Amino acid sequence: MSKYEHHWTMIVDLDKCTGCQACVIACQAENNIPVVGEDEIRKGRGMQWLRIERYWEGEYPNIRARFIPLMCQQCENAPCEPVCPVFATYHSEVDGINVQVYNRCIGTRYCANNCPYIARMFNWFDPQFPEPLNEQLNPDVTVRQRGIMEKCTFCIQRIRRARETAEAEGRSIRDGEVQPACGQACPTNAIIFGDLNDPNSQVSRLAANRRGFRLLEELGTEPAVIYLKGGESNVI
Amino acid sequence: MSSYELSRREFLKLSGLGATAALISGCTANLQKTVWMEPYVTPPEETLPGEDFWFASTCRMCPAGCGIVVRTSNGRARKIEGNASHPLNQGKLCARGQAGLQLLYHPDRLTQVLKRTGERGSKQWGTTSWEQIVDEIAAELANMSSERVAFLTGRLPDYQAMLVSRFMDGLGGEKPIVYDAQSVLDGYVLLQAATQAMFDDKRLPVFDIAQADVVFGFGANFLETWLSPVAYGLAYGAMRSQSGIRGTMVSFEPRMSMTAANSDRWIPVPAGYEGLVALALGKIIVDERLGHDGVADKYRALYKKADVGAIAEQSGISVEQLRKLAHLFATAHHPIAVPGGVLAGQLNGLDAIKAVTALNLIVGHTGDHGAIFLSPAPPSRDLMQFSPSSFSEMINLIERMKAGKVDVLFVLGANPVYEIPEVLGFVDGLAKVKRVISFAVIPDETTAVSDIVLPAHTYLETWGYELPNPGKQQLIVSAQQPIVRPLYDTRDPGDVLLALADKLGGQVARRLPWPNLVTFIQTRLTSLQILSGNITANDAETFWIHWLQSGGWWSQDTVWESPNPTESFLNTPLQVNEPTFDGDAEKFPLQLLPVASVAFGDGRHASLPWLQEMPDPTTTVSWDTWVEINPQTAASLDIQDSDIVKIRSPYGEIEAVAYLYPGIHPNVIAVPVGQGHTELGRWAQNRGANVWRILSPQTEPETGQLAWAATRVKVEATTKRRLLPRLESNIGVDRAREKGHLPG
Amino acid sequence: MLSEKTAVTQSENYWRKHLMLDPRPVREMNQMILTAMTTVNKRYWITVTTLTLFVTIGLIGAWGYQIFNGMGVAGIRRPVYWGVYITNFVFWIGISHSGTFVSAILRVFKAEFRRPITRASELMTTFALTVAGLYPLIHLGRTWRFYWMIPYPNQRQLWPNFHSPLMWDMLAIFTYLIGSTLYLYLPLIPDFAMARDRTTGWRHRIYRILALGWRGSESEWHHLKQAITIFAFAIIPVMFSVHTIVAWDFGMTMVPGWHSSIFGPYFVVGAIFSGVSAVATVLIILRKTMQLDYFLREEHFDAIGKLVLVFSFAWTYFFFADYLTEWYGGEAVGKELLTLQARGPIAPLWYIMLITNILVPWLTLWNRKIRTSPKALLVITLGVNIGMYIERYIIVAGFLTRNRLPFDWGAYTPSIVEILISIGSLSTFLLLYVLASRLIPLIPVWEVHEGQISHTLRRVGQALLPSVSELE
Repeated sequence: MSKYEHHWTMIVDLDKCTGCQACVIACQAENNIPVVGEDEIRKGRGMQWLRIERYWEGEYPNIRARFIPLMCQQCENAPCEPVCPVFATYHSEVDGINVQVYNRCIGTRYCANNCPYIARMFNWFDPQFPEPLNEQLNPDVTVRQRGIMEKCTFCIQRIRRARETAEAEGRSIRDGEVQPACGQACPTNAIIFGDLNDPNSQVSRLAANRRGFRLLEELGTEPAVIYLKGGESNVI
Repeated sequence: MSSYELSRREFLKLSGLGATAALISGCTANLQKTVWMEPYVTPPEETLPGEDFWFASTCRMCPAGCGIVVRTSNGRARKIEGNASHPLNQGKLCARGQAGLQLLYHPDRLTQVLKRTGERGSKQWGTTSWEQIVDEIAAELANMSSERVAFLTGRLPDYQAMLVSRFMDGLGGEKPIVYDAQSVLDGYVLLQAATQAMFDDKRLPVFDIAQADVVFGFGANFLETWLSPVAYGLAYGAMRSQSGIRGTMVSFEPRMSMTAANSDRWIPVPAGYEGLVALALGKIIVDERLGHDGVADKYRALYKKADVGAIAEQSGISVEQLRKLAHLFATAHHPIAVPGGVLAGQLNGLDAIKAVTALNLIVGHTGDHGAIFLSPAPPSRDLMQFSPSSFSEMINLIERMKAGKVDVLFVLGANPVYEIPEVLGFVDGLAKVKRVISFAVIPDETTAVSDIVLPAHTYLETWGYELPNPGKQQLIVSAQQPIVRPLYDTRDPGDVLLALADKLGGQVARRLPWPNLVTFIQTRLTSLQILSGNITANDAETFWIHWLQSGGWWSQDTVWESPNPTESFLNTPLQVNEPTFDGDAEKFPLQLLPVASVAFGDGRHASLPWLQEMPDPTTTVSWDTWVEINPQTAASLDIQDSDIVKIRSPYGEIEAVAYLYPGIHPNVIAVPVGQGHTELGRWAQNRGANVWRILSPQTEPETGQLAWAATRVKVEATTKRRLLPRLESNIGVDRAREKGHLPG
Repeated sequence: MLSEKTAVTQSENYWRKHLMLDPRPVREMNQMILTAMTTVNKRYWITVTTLTLFVTIGLIGAWGYQIFNGMGVAGIRRPVYWGVYITNFVFWIGISHSGTFVSAILRVFKAEFRRPITRASELMTTFALTVAGLYPLIHLGRTWRFYWMIPYPNQRQLWPNFHSPLMWDMLAIFTYLIGSTLYLYLPLIPDFAMARDRTTGWRHRIYRILALGWRGSESEWHHLKQAITIFAFAIIPVMFSVHTIVAWDFGMTMVPGWHSSIFGPYFVVGAIFSGVSAVATVLIILRKTMQLDYFLREEHFDAIGKLVLVFSFAWTYFFFADYLTEWYGGEAVGKELLTLQARGPIAPLWYIMLITNILVPWLTLWNRKIRTSPKALLVITLGVNIGMYIERYIIVAGFLTRNRLPFDWGAYTPSIVEILISIGSLSTFLLLYVLASRLIPLIPVWEVHEGQISHTLRRVGQALLPSVSELE
């Protein structure tokens, strides 16, 4: 049990992740992430909060690709938090995750430098949603101005909504009730989300898997994202 | 929207002004100023501000037919998600499916009926009303011999296909020609032909990957675009996590697709030799009597002509390795071999698909889980499924057009100007057609050279139904309903046809007697009411409501059937010819493999910015056209990463940016399809290259299907360079591979 | 028996070499300073106009463009979130160390050669800090919200986060700016009074205000001296803290190459290294353009040259210690940083830095002839500042291109906007200095005079020897 009311945790099963990008678009749609265009992508200024990293292993013809979906790891000891001079990023005492307050951000980009997962995205320009594309924007999520840092929030708006519903119904949040957009879309069910405080939740069971590891674990950031190592079959 | 847009701040300012104005007007009675104040958004009256509504419908972004639910608030569609109760995709949805919103809200959509005023292709348009244009077209059709009318479509939603087919039938014209680039890339027609030849059944095969423990994929990119990627994605996830046993997957194809990248082993096979490899594996299994006891004996005749040694030499896979692979496959509990779309690009495609499918038979697992099944058949003729025509019909149409035998051409759901090999001269043929009438959502290359452009609803604005094909173990009739009110003065093409039929009267009106789309669809569904499924309703109205609410009807029972091979198939030895390619091997040393794009499919979704910016899974490139070249090949041609290269085929040339791809056979280069549009809205225009243009028009001899990967090309370096917009740091990724340390 | 002639030659030698032993009447010195201050030729105005133009283009044009369009007009990108702006910031903070070091430390240690050069270097401190202080603003994504970093009771009910090194930074810089400005101002009071008494018109009015009614009474001198001494002692720890904290902006993170305990002193030494070099550069230019040959002599360049060499040694030591630690640590990403410097895209810069910061000073500055040659020293010290700029660039923009996830490595080239703003800020510094050179007495006449009084040549046996008496 952690000190928080919930210990939201994401399990990413690398054996199931196919790299298909469904999660990337789901995230982009849910969180009003702007499209930045060819030139900006060329500069490495894509805004997608969730990206799938592809590494090569071996040489032709014995080559393999490895996919790792990477998003904010919601570290318990988040390196981004202490460096922000204006408390734009801090640790939520209820959800135990790392929260970004867009309106407070003044854009020092210090947090982004200090994030070992390079998980933070910066609004280099004002986002563009040519009409009527703006009609699609999620009303639960702010559209961020230029000069603001942003990152994966574990779809906090969905967590909030689930909590409000649960409170109204006088119960606690059920396992599986909160699903971030990425996990919801993932065709292979590679992304599982839930409360690690609940010993019976799916994430609690999966977290005990011996394939489990945390990214850059040696840094002591204690991420709330647990990866399950990709499987190996010995094939010829 | 003519309403005066008012922000809150402006509202406060104006209220102040208004108060002042009131004061002033109190003094001077003449001064009358009325300030109209309306909210920023005017919601349709049935919506509750701030409250979400979820509508179930069917995804039409690719032909798979997944169930979706769309979140709406204040009358706007906000997000598309998978329908959790839909048996096909079980709440999951791919990237393309989710991007459907951007089709709906695309800023460059067609908003009204357009009629050409200038030269054809000059893009000078006048506007007119629906009533007028329907009258005009009806008048024209009425005075015309019906064989001079042609209807060209893509693979339409079932309801539209039915209406088009009946429309042409009523006119007495030729059957509509269905050319669908995605289906071509998927090998749809060849798969059908193969099941026909092997099992005497035209239904598509379904591969139960979910319960297999060894999967051999032969050019099957089922995780990306092939037939029903979300359903297969689900199956793949299940295959990887069966309790205790982790399924093993091996992919045989010249280029490491995303699916192959997820295999435990990718075996690079020279282009077109996949079927031969399958043949060799089968031969070994039969010869060594692997698999279930004695089953293999039954199939001995099939492999009479196979020569393992020769195939090993041709494919570069040693006999030893072929034996190991055969053992792996045959000794598994639930092995499955999947013949994919890549096979269909070759002239030996049909035989290759048969050879791969046969592997499933000889290990004796048909009828078991983890085996091959046939997609469920429609319950009645009311709900027919339509399949693409063969490409030779398309060629035939072009010839007719060139000969001036076509006066009116309807184009619906297809973009033939873009996606047909240029050498066939579709555009020349089009010039001879008196009247070209296109339906489209976003202006494309074909609407640009049309006479009348009829703006169509997006699938989120209209009604429909779809029988997913290939389906799942249940029979599914997926529901499609409007999520939002039509944004513009657009119509469903089906409704336009109904209106035309009404105007024309006679046989056409008898074939299309319905007043509108909804009535038509409701009559289609009557046969379902008596079947046992997820909906129990006593009357049509209740059924309709439940059908819309749950996003469709699906049967309670499993209706999968195992195929039975016909005697004639069993007695004819399998033969797969060596692949041949168009173009002189000396002059054009490389083989060109067009690749269906994970983002755009066959190119139809290049208009959507989310998909443009979506990194390609294996190369991480977005927004551009690249050509994947094996680093060795590139070195021999003195080509470096990011160099712009010319790709020359006997039929033309295109330019693309070189991507040194470590997962591709040295004799093959791969170019993703989808870019190189001259139209299709601001995000697609003038970007990258269109690989369809330079393809050879050869067709597979038996089915007449386009052999889209049988073109030889030459790659030449230019002096120009263009950095690809890519997500990866190629320096970093190379270093990581060199050093062998990956994160995690 | 020492001949009269030899004695004269000997003392002439001393006079020529040492300002302190070459006394002139105060009146004459005052006049020299005033003449230098009030002589304005065409070249001066051309310089001022050009600089003003650059400042306008850089700070109003380019910065304005950046504010209205967004940070994207700069070349920074993921994962290089900091680039030239922060490099400039560290660089100017480094330059600002010149004044305090040369003036305060030398004052505390009673180094006599400091007397004519304290003012010029203190002025550099203030102006360099002003320019450096612009950069945290320029670099903010939302510059218009900069005041959210200032702790004051506000409607947002939010204090700044004092955990953040950026907050320490802000406090340290403000303290240093205030302290160094006062430290610049105190010794200026008698000189302002001198100028007040010898000018008319608008100059007189300005100097009258600035001189604070200085009359030169015994108690005024006493208090001033005490105040200067207190400030000289107090400003030194502030100076150390400022650059240490700037280093901690980097050291406190877990960015590969930044996270190092040596960064504090390493940056301080680097700052002094570049600061002292900049003092030499400026003095050479001032002497040339303002005819200050009497005040600024070989002995000063000799002494500064020695300081530059000593700090080159010190900087090299820290550099080597940092490099070796990274190397032996053997962490994968650390090794990548070393590869990046030795063979990567920034390798040319890295080698230039090694040449200008180590090779050139070590090979040249041991030689007195080179030290005392203004031209040679100008080239060498300019080289050191280029090298030190590169050092900061490599640390900020270079190291950020490499990280623990090779997929996310990046590349960075400054954009035109960044270059224009950098030129604009350099021009701001130069413009401020050029304007100040005609408004503020650049040589503290009273300090020089004070030194000259306390220095005499005494005959000891056959030799003439300089002697100094303690005045305080």
